[in-house]
Amino acid sequence: MKTIEEINQRIKDGDAVVVTAAEMTQIVKEDGADKAAEDIDVVTTGTFGAMCSSGAFLNFGHTDPPIKMTRSYLNGVEAYSGLAAVDSYIGATQPSKNPEIGIDYGGAHVIEDLINGRDIELVASSYGTDCYPLTDLRTHVNIDNLNEAIMVNPRNCYQNYAAAVNSTDETIYTYMGTLLPNMGNVSFSSAGGLSPLLNDPYFQTIGMGTKIFLCGAEGYVIGEGTQHNTEVQRKNGVPVNGAGTLMLKGDMKQMDHEFVRGATMPQYGSTLYVGAGIPIPILNSDIASKTAISDEDIVCQVMDYGVPKRNKPIIVETNYKELRSGSIEINGVEIESSPLSSYKKALEIAEELKLWIDRGNFFLTNPVKLLTSQGSNPGPLEIRRQTILVNEIKSKALIIASPNDDIRDVAKRMVQNNVNHLPVVDTDQKLLGIVTSWDIANAVAKGKNMLKDVMTKKVVIAREDEPVDVIARRIDKHEISGMPIIDKNNHVMGMITAEDISRLMCARNREEGV
Amino acid sequence: MKAWLKFSPKMVNQAVITDLIKNFDLSFNILRADINPKGGKMLIEINGSEAEKGITYIEKAGIEVSPVKRVVKKDKELCIDCGACVSLCPVKAISVDEDWTVDVDDEECIGCKLCTYSCPTKAIKVVE
Repeated sequence: MKTIEEINQRIKDGDAVVVTAAEMTQIVKEDGADKAAEDIDVVTTGTFGAMCSSGAFLNFGHTDPPIKMTRSYLNGVEAYSGLAAVDSYIGATQPSKNPEIGIDYGGAHVIEDLINGRDIELVASSYGTDCYPLTDLRTHVNIDNLNEAIMVNPRNCYQNYAAAVNSTDETIYTYMGTLLPNMGNVSFSSAGGLSPLLNDPYFQTIGMGTKIFLCGAEGYVIGEGTQHNTEVQRKNGVPVNGAGTLMLKGDMKQMDHEFVRGATMPQYGSTLYVGAGIPIPILNSDIASKTAISDEDIVCQVMDYGVPKRNKPIIVETNYKELRSGSIEINGVEIESSPLSSYKKALEIAEELKLWIDRGNFFLTNPVKLLTSQGSNPGPLEIRRQTILVNEIKSKALIIASPNDDIRDVAKRMVQNNVNHLPVVDTDQKLLGIVTSWDIANAVAKGKNMLKDVMTKKVVIAREDEPVDVIARRIDKHEISGMPIIDKNNHVMGMITAEDISRLMCARNREEGV
Repeated sequence: MKAWLKFSPKMVNQAVITDLIKNFDLSFNILRADINPKGGKMLIEINGSEAEKGITYIEKAGIEVSPVKRVVKKDKELCIDCGACVSLCPVKAISVDEDWTVDVDDEECIGCKLCTYSCPTKAIKVVE
């Protein structure tokens, strides 16, 4: 048994033994947890990953005449300024207000540029009061002339995080990066055995007031992060998914660009790569054994991001050793895996923190209050307006066509039934293609007779149990006007069109008096 | 070597490539192709003792051959060595070193630019 005061005395005397979490795994394996607890004083951890829930409070100082900012923009990215007169909070995922730039330059990039010492254009506006008469300003700020630039990240360092695959037949772009169709790749995020909260899985040492490495500077844990979840499934003592989170704080003026980066996940949004390292004091052999966790022992669930639902199906369970090997097996097929977070940087951070402690520049703190280790279970947000599913929409009677139908007959059928889309099916009512009134016009113009010569064979479909909002997004994405509804046996059940959806929205708005 | 072959509309229906493979001692691999009745282009990799002769043959047959002088580069300042690009590369031209540094291989790259597009820090550039 050791105390943090004793460890700090050893750091002061230059006698503290500090190792990284990667080294500790080996040490405990060879010497056992009891001996390791006697020999080792501190284990350093590290992670460098995309942490969207990050941002910074900036205080600009008062102008003369003064302004009470109600809106502020930094290099065109809006910062929230409903905070007194000259305080703003710039969030990492806020896109540029210029639609041509959008997510390519967001709040995260502003934060990176500030830390890099670059000048940032500040535009602010207000309604003007007796004490704050100025209503507009345009100027430049940088890290040196800001009074404060304090990074406060509401949710960082997820304890563990599910890996992502995509089962659909098209590439999707997510916060887990680009996911190739038909499970063409696996993307994962956690630093595994090096990750801070996986080395203190029951929060025996980390809490409010724990001093840490944050983006190259000294920072602090200021409590549980948002969505902190303790009621999770565990294997080998560590959660198999999301679980615990941290709220972190640090002074941007002291930060190093090497350990913080603005980034953009294509077609998703901007995000901040945050480098964080937490020292774990080895107070006893129980804590020592927990820091010995290896990549192999940490289970990671692989989820299907092709399903745009809150609860995504779990495809398989793997571990970080396999994920880091470059490929994992799913249903007998080797699928390439690659990380979104930088293991190289994570190692650098653990080494850097170790160096700080070795040199006597960094002392451990006793947390004021340990992180909550039970009873914390974030709930979902239920939408008052009920989600409407495809099969709940009133659609027209099903009109179909066969591939060998004559174009003129099909045209007649469309006019009689006042429809613009016809699904083309086989004798078993299974989908073969789709034909629109435009295709018919095209066929007439080119003198074609058979429907199968003009129908579209690659069809975007809607499933009966999908929410209509998901279909609206699909119609928009593929720039189409309707799609066949398919049941689970691949039989065509009807059509859903942009018209159906707009009618539904109008009815819904009328009911709610919008 | 890698080269783009440009097909004019009148070349599209001729079996130049078949003759090339039949008549010369070379290995031939199609990396990308985009050809329709209006012509198009094809990215090929061609190796073997008679590769040079083969190239001369298809040039004579009327196909424009432009050897690829492509450079795929990662900007070391921008790259954070995350590795997001590794599993996206269709030809395994991107790998992770023993010290977890991400490496791109100019020789293997076919210029699809999936990595360029997907890189969170825009650190990979392909210049042709």
